Amino acid sequence: MDTQGPQTKKAQKNSVAWRRRVKSEYMRLRQLKRFRKAEKVKFQFLANRNKIQEKTEMLNEEWKKLRIQPIPATPCIGQLSTKKCVVEYGFPEFKSQTVMMRTLNTVAGVPFMHSWSPLQQNFMVEDETFLHNIPYMGDEVFEQDEAFLEELIDNYDGVHGDRGCEQPPSNRIPHDKIFKAIASMFPDKGTTEELKEKYKELTESPSPVKLPPQCTPSMDGPGAQSVQREQSLHSFHTLFCRRCFKYDCFLHRKSPEPGRSCRSRLCSPLLSFHATPNVYKRKIKEIRIETEPCGLDCFMLLKGAKEFADQNMVKSQRPRRRQRRHKQPSSSASTPGEGKEGDSDRETTSSSEGNSRCQTPIKLKQSSEQPDSVEAVQWNGAEESLFRVLQGTYYNNFCSIARLIGTKTCRQVYDFAVKEALILRVPVEDGGISPQKKKRKHRLWAAHCRKIQLKKDNSSNQVYNYQPCDHPEHPCDSSCPCVMTQNFCEKFCQCNPECQNRFPGCRCKTQCNTKQCPCYLAVRECDPDLCQTCGAADHWDSKNVSCKNCSIQRGLKKHLLLAPSDVAGWGTFIKDPVQKNEFISEYCGEVISQDEADRRGRIYDKYLSSFLFNLNNDFVVDATRKGNKIRFANHSVNPNCYAKVVMVNGDHRIGIFAKRAIQKGEELFFDYRYSQADALKYVGIERELELM
Amino acid sequence: MLFKVEKMRGEQESHTLASHLQLTFTGFYHENEKPSQNSENEQNSVALEVLLVKVCHKKRKDVSCPVKQVPTAKKQVPLNPDSSPTKPGALPSLAVSSNEFEPSNSHMVKSYSLLFRVTWPGKRDVNGLMNGETNENIDVIEEFPTRKKRSSSYHEDGEKTFVAQMTVFDKNRRLQLLDGEYEVSMQEMEECPVSKKRATWETILDGKRLPPFETFSQGPTLQFTLRWAGETNDKSTAPVAKPLATRNSDTATLESKPSSLKPTQAIAVKDSLTTDLQVRREQILCEPRQKLRIFYQFLYNNNTRQQTEARDDLHCPWCTLNCRKLYSLLKHLKLCHSRFIFNYVPHPKGARIDVSINECYDGSYVGNPQDIHSQPGFAFSRNGPVKRTPVTHILVCRPKRTKPSLSEFLESEDGEMEQQRTYISGHNRLYFHSDACLPLRPQEMEVDSEDEKDPEWLREKTITQIEEFTDVNEGEKEVMKLWNLHVMKYGFIADNQMNQACMQFVEKCGQQINEKNLCRNFLLHLVSMHDFNLVSIVTIDKAMARLREMQQRLEKDELAEKTSPAPTDEPNWENGSGIETPTSERISETDISASGVPKQNKRQKL
Repeated sequence: MDTQGPQTKKAQKNSVAWRRRVKSEYMRLRQLKRFRKAEKVKFQFLANRNKIQEKTEMLNEEWKKLRIQPIPATPCIGQLSTKKCVVEYGFPEFKSQTVMMRTLNTVAGVPFMHSWSPLQQNFMVEDETFLHNIPYMGDEVFEQDEAFLEELIDNYDGVHGDRGCEQPPSNRIPHDKIFKAIASMFPDKGTTEELKEKYKELTESPSPVKLPPQCTPSMDGPGAQSVQREQSLHSFHTLFCRRCFKYDCFLHRKSPEPGRSCRSRLCSPLLSFHATPNVYKRKIKEIRIETEPCGLDCFMLLKGAKEFADQNMVKSQRPRRRQRRHKQPSSSASTPGEGKEGDSDRETTSSSEGNSRCQTPIKLKQSSEQPDSVEAVQWNGAEESLFRVLQGTYYNNFCSIARLIGTKTCRQVYDFAVKEALILRVPVEDGGISPQKKKRKHRLWAAHCRKIQLKKDNSSNQVYNYQPCDHPEHPCDSSCPCVMTQNFCEKFCQCNPECQNRFPGCRCKTQCNTKQCPCYLAVRECDPDLCQTCGAADHWDSKNVSCKNCSIQRGLKKHLLLAPSDVAGWGTFIKDPVQKNEFISEYCGEVISQDEADRRGRIYDKYLSSFLFNLNNDFVVDATRKGNKIRFANHSVNPNCYAKVVMVNGDHRIGIFAKRAIQKGEELFFDYRYSQADALKYVGIERELELM
Repeated sequence: MLFKVEKMRGEQESHTLASHLQLTFTGFYHENEKPSQNSENEQNSVALEVLLVKVCHKKRKDVSCPVKQVPTAKKQVPLNPDSSPTKPGALPSLAVSSNEFEPSNSHMVKSYSLLFRVTWPGKRDVNGLMNGETNENIDVIEEFPTRKKRSSSYHEDGEKTFVAQMTVFDKNRRLQLLDGEYEVSMQEMEECPVSKKRATWETILDGKRLPPFETFSQGPTLQFTLRWAGETNDKSTAPVAKPLATRNSDTATLESKPSSLKPTQAIAVKDSLTTDLQVRREQILCEPRQKLRIFYQFLYNNNTRQQTEARDDLHCPWCTLNCRKLYSLLKHLKLCHSRFIFNYVPHPKGARIDVSINECYDGSYVGNPQDIHSQPGFAFSRNGPVKRTPVTHILVCRPKRTKPSLSEFLESEDGEMEQQRTYISGHNRLYFHSDACLPLRPQEMEVDSEDEKDPEWLREKTITQIEEFTDVNEGEKEVMKLWNLHVMKYGFIADNQMNQACMQFVEKCGQQINEKNLCRNFLLHLVSMHDFNLVSIVTIDKAMARLREMQQRLEKDELAEKTSPAPTDEPNWENGSGIETPTSERISETDISASGVPKQNKRQKL
């Protein structure tokens, strides 16, 4: 319509009347449109109202059966003209103004609360070297606050937003005018052209370093390539957290370089905190070798094939083991180049095959020709990669491999394996070990109990974070990081399972809630993979576990409720009564370094409210941003709960336990200053009390 | 009770015109003067002067209220008479006409009171002096200096003047003195002028002056019977006023005292008194006045400061409930006034109750906590009973019954905290959701909506984190995301759970894996898990077999919609089991074999 205006204007240049007519017509249409829009909005509003009304009625109908207080039906303001409020003026010239009146009922206020995210397990975050925002200290700025802020900013590398926009939005070079203006302003900095060059030089994005093609195309995708086993499994191996069973977990991903914030592997492809599996020694060497042919066309029926597989398995046992040991360190850091050199020729063929994309005819041909000639079978990239992956696990069990690959028969797999000339020798279990093992374990256990006692005795209050040790060549001695930090080796360590420093677990048949239990004594929760008799490894689904020393890991927390505290601010209340020493909840939050805690603590102290909680010498739990309901438990010198830092499957975690029997509906308190491990850093409320 | 009194007052006022106040004096008791009393013959009576004091309303010019004293009579009252009751007629008595209590012409009279002035002659005979003393309408204020001077002069002579004042009508024109026998404690008039001490039986608890009960047992007292005569009223209906009452007592004290208190009372009575005198006096008092004093000792500021208040009865100071027994009083205080802690301490003169603030007091609202927060009027909008949070009010608590003993109120050393706990347990408050601070409704109590192991933001976080990787391919990402969500949902914690976890994963997410065509990536995941020593080969086999099975069923279902093709038997294909089908054209091809052969067959052949 807008375009129509000038057109008509052009056509009827002289006719003023026409112009007027067009204008009025345009206005009319616009008004009509506006009117329609308003009508539509009104209609929608009413429709929504009705919908809400219906829903409310439905809900109330349902609740009537449940004997639940109904929702008060909001008075429908559908007619938009219930009550009006009129403002009249003393001057006759001014019209009185009318506004629809809507009464809002008072709602009782609740205590102040900063927003936070719910969490049931600790979450590790990196140090913040940039201050995200300048903390708000109230509307009035006092001098001391300003001094505090200055000091605070000094602690950081900078404040967010200081650098202006960090990424240039576009590569467009600004207009010459700007350069000219700058040049005239700062003549000593160079001419216009020089400035322009400099700008180009500075803004040019640093050419991305060519990354090794660590990223392989998806196995299931059309572009799957034939690559080595390590490459195929690289992502899974590097991202998997053996401790959380998750990929790229939230807790164990401390970056090796301080201050590195980018997690994407673009930055450092091989830097991963998670140990790769190649270094783990196989506990159980279970290799299923099928001795019976899987079918009429099994490769075992071929002449010499079975013998070939078996021979390789038995004969080359010794050399294989040695070979593996050599391979271990190198394979853990498998460089892409190494993977490439073996199959560069194959890769070209397979990639061309993958690109051809018309596999259907080939497939058909295969199925018809199969019994006669195996050579004709074509392998695509995915299949080849998969074979290599599976061969690392299944060795010469071609029947199983074929079944898993799915598109090849075992005979075809066998043929391919022969062609690869890389038949892996199956390492055979050395059977002599197991009977000895048990005896040794018994002795070990007794020694361990003594050791725990010893550790307890001369324990300075230094508790260090546990890191799985990895020193492949020598056993865990005084140079082992676990020994040095007075931690036990865990199942995540790379050391031998019979390592002297491993914790043996308990053999309790009771509840593991006394110092009779070595786990309890060592302030550890029972490890479901070590303690087999106490029940820590049973009844995964039920909440009734006979072992009472595995509540944190299982998350067997009590139902907590939130309400305004009788003391200050919000408080945590318990729904059901608990017994003395019962586990109530884990104190969850962000796991931050001690340095970060110092920086954050400064701000929290200023706010007189802190959720910091020392975990060990290396880390602090901060429930300010993320946490669970127990974070609202207030401080008391006469508390009904106590906090205890417990080693739970390699992680230090904070458990809140009942100090006495607590009745339902009671508010929970614990002493912020002292925990059993004496690891509590007292801040916040305690100081607040002192001030008062 | 109050109602009764009010009624009586009305009655009395209506009768005032026709009546007069009759006072019959029984005797003047002064125990301190016992030695002198030994020479009984020389001294057995004292001179008593009764004045009617009218306190008038203050006029504009006056500094203080003008007081008029109207002398009514002078009598000789026996001093320390024997217990044997003498005939009423023989006792000195006087009558005050009720006309005296009419409003006087010049001043509006605020209150009327009787002023008793007893002149104690000391060793000498006082008769002559007594005669010389006439005070006519003296304004007290003016008289004040002279009187003081004179009292000192009396003192030189060994003469003492005791005064007491009783209000007949208070400033609200309420009758204060009802029929009955009274014993008035007299105050020696030396330093304290009468005007300043209008209510002499009020105690000032600085220990310097004698507290009332001591005065009753040893101090000079005047006993008399008071009657409003000239009425036709039945005596029984007329309330027998309690005799001299301390400020706290009301008519209820007239009820006979339980006998259990008697021994305690006896302690308060001076030993020097003869027993018969004591008995007689108690009878005269018409009710056994509690000799029991209860000292309320308020401890505060961390028990560093204290303040003591005393009461002479067993009324609860907070709600004036008459508990009648010390035990009941303590029980009442403990149960009904739980904001304080009451500890009983035995005291030679009665009992001391230490009162301190109960820090554990729960003064929370006892109604339905939901009502506090809901909209106005909402509390009444419900029809019929509705659900509310469960609260247990302990109405009847039956611990092992011990014999009622005062020792249970003694301060206990250890179990103190247990005692002060509130008798209401449960969820007597309104709870809030931790995410949005919205009130938690009763029906939402049972489920903890905010304790999920995998809150939404965390699920999203793990997805975005994995998505951020630049060198992980889409297939890997998808499997990782699905697996992470699975682990987060079920919270696996042990290595030995992993086999089960993988199988569960196939059951829960197998469909998605098939739909998104992720079988091989899933196989890689399994192999990786095996490399980490977390799953066995058997699990890999089982999981993949189950996945194939699900895939075949899916394809079969799809195919069932189309025409069902003729089954062809190809053993080779069965060995290879399911077939990867990246293109749709191949589906039909593979399905011929898949659908044609039932599962069982395959297994048998394998």
